[in-house]
Amino acid sequence: MDETVAEFIKRTILKIPLNELTTILKAWDFLSENQLQTVNFRQRKESVVQHLIHLCEEKRASLNDAALLDIIYTQFHQHQKVWDVFQMSKGPGEDVDLFDMKQFKNSFKKILQRALKNVTVSFRETEENAVWIRIAWGTQYTKPNQYKPTYVVYYSQTPYAFKSSSTLRRNTPLLGQALTIASKHHQIVKMDLRSRYLDSLKAIVFKQYNQTFETHNSTTPLQERSLGLDINMDSRIIHENIVEKERVQRITQETFGDYPQPQLEFAQYKLETKFKSDLNGSILAEREEPLRCLIKFSSPHLLEALKSLAPAALFSRIQKLLCYSASHSQGTQDLSSYVPLYTRC
Amino acid sequence: MEQANPLRPDGESKGGVLAHLERLENQMSRSRKQSEEPQSVQAQERVLGTKIQKLRHLRDDLKAAVRHRRGSVKACIANVEPNRTVEVNEQEALEEKLENVKAVLQAYHFTGLSGKLTSRGVCVCINTAFEGNLLDSYFVDLVIQKPLRIHHHSVPVFIPLEEIAAKYLQTNIQHFLFSLCEYLNAYSGRKYQADRLQSDFAALLTGPLQRNPLCNLLSFTYKLDPGGQSFPFCARLLYKDLTATLPTDVTVTCQGGEALSTSWEEQRASHETLFCTKPLHQVFASFARREKLDMSLVS
Repeated sequence: MDETVAEFIKRTILKIPLNELTTILKAWDFLSENQLQTVNFRQRKESVVQHLIHLCEEKRASLNDAALLDIIYTQFHQHQKVWDVFQMSKGPGEDVDLFDMKQFKNSFKKILQRALKNVTVSFRETEENAVWIRIAWGTQYTKPNQYKPTYVVYYSQTPYAFKSSSTLRRNTPLLGQALTIASKHHQIVKMDLRSRYLDSLKAIVFKQYNQTFETHNSTTPLQERSLGLDINMDSRIIHENIVEKERVQRITQETFGDYPQPQLEFAQYKLETKFKSDLNGSILAEREEPLRCLIKFSSPHLLEALKSLAPAALFSRIQKLLCYSASHSQGTQDLSSYVPLYTRC
Repeated sequence: MEQANPLRPDGESKGGVLAHLERLENQMSRSRKQSEEPQSVQAQERVLGTKIQKLRHLRDDLKAAVRHRRGSVKACIANVEPNRTVEVNEQEALEEKLENVKAVLQAYHFTGLSGKLTSRGVCVCINTAFEGNLLDSYFVDLVIQKPLRIHHHSVPVFIPLEEIAAKYLQTNIQHFLFSLCEYLNAYSGRKYQADRLQSDFAALLTGPLQRNPLCNLLSFTYKLDPGGQSFPFCARLLYKDLTATLPTDVTVTCQGGEALSTSWEEQRASHETLFCTKPLHQVFASFARREKLDMSLVS
């Protein structure tokens, strides 16, 4: 086994936390059950790693096997990377997409290898019709750097692919080209959508975020949610509040639905707006040109945070702000078409 | 002047008088008591007597009331019972009607296309089926506005929903729904055939079944006699028509690659025709039957 391969496997296994080690090794399926049973996983991590490397050497692990282990590690730790979304399109009147996985893999690999002599390409298919592609980049003169690979998750027979953000930007056009040609599309465009959570990106882009539908079988009565009112308050105040709170709750439910929101961490809007002023002769109101601003919302879970704003009675202000931004914004069209608030405005 | 008692001396007469007085007093009090006692006792007796009479009256009244009640209740029951049975019958009839309606609504699933009105519009349910087997259901929630739009749906992403919507949704919603039904039913049918092949006829396959999300390209190798010496066949099925459950192009080759005897060539050609005309799992079912027949003939 090559020294570089051994080093690579060692560093990969060192990254894996001990409690996940057996699961990942089983998923890798490179070392047999018998071999795994000879390892004492309760030792210090260094000893475990040594033993595993020894077993891999016995079985003569190749670079491909090592790359596969790396893919599996990344699949378990998806959230450590930030994922960009790319959308491909076909020309008009294209034939029906008869996707052949073998053909795709061969084509993809060939295109990259023809352009860059030194590149390692590995594939791993998953059950949801997705293929994980790992690319380690080299140049004409240097070997591929196995420690800074790019990952692409492509959902076959869809126009969407997710790519891990990496610092090596210069290879992105080539990667896009390879993906487009191998999947028989014409064009590829980067969407203004980015997140650590692949599942959420998938839900947004495939429009799978709301999967509850009304049928005649489901007789779910309207749940009476407690509005959290203080019963010691004057009942007249409570009555006034109830009307308003119910309205807010209804609008929140219509906008956001009852399902768990996809996890987004920030949303950015370009806003062009004119300034309105009550006073006559305000400097800002007299400007001919609209003001251009950039608004950024950020939160560990942005959509849930927005959803909880409504009961906190900040709803109307946010709605007004977002109404303006939706009508005037020029960026992030995809996000604004997703978040229902904006389409309602 | 004191009159001296000639019979007793003074001291004795004093004691005598006082004692006598005392005796007389005692007598008097005793006799008063005796005369009072029968009076109080009598008064008490009278009081108790009246009480007893009152209680007796009360008892008699209550007894009478109980008797009366019993009589009237019996009369009531005799009157009321027919009413109660009527109520029960009505309730049963309503329940039966409700069950019927529910059953009819469920039966709509078997028509393949059903819907439910929602607050915004309608939620259409497409129930797919193939060869009499009910398969997956898909939903499309439509908002009735100008323009008509899809609120959310459960159609898989590789079905060209946007294309179909762009063509028909605004102009001819019937066509939109029927076209979508066609695509979804065909997809379900193809998926069903591929699933059946993988699960029921794995013994005849010599390698894994290659398939894609739309199930419109299937590639597999199979042998007619699993244990035998014959060469495996390679089949490649293309379904270019996404609204069909039978392939448009079929290529069957022999893995051996050498020149085939005429019998093998005939077999190969016949297989190609079979795959083009019959559903995949049925073709394999006929292979399996033939195999059994051959085996039984040989043994």
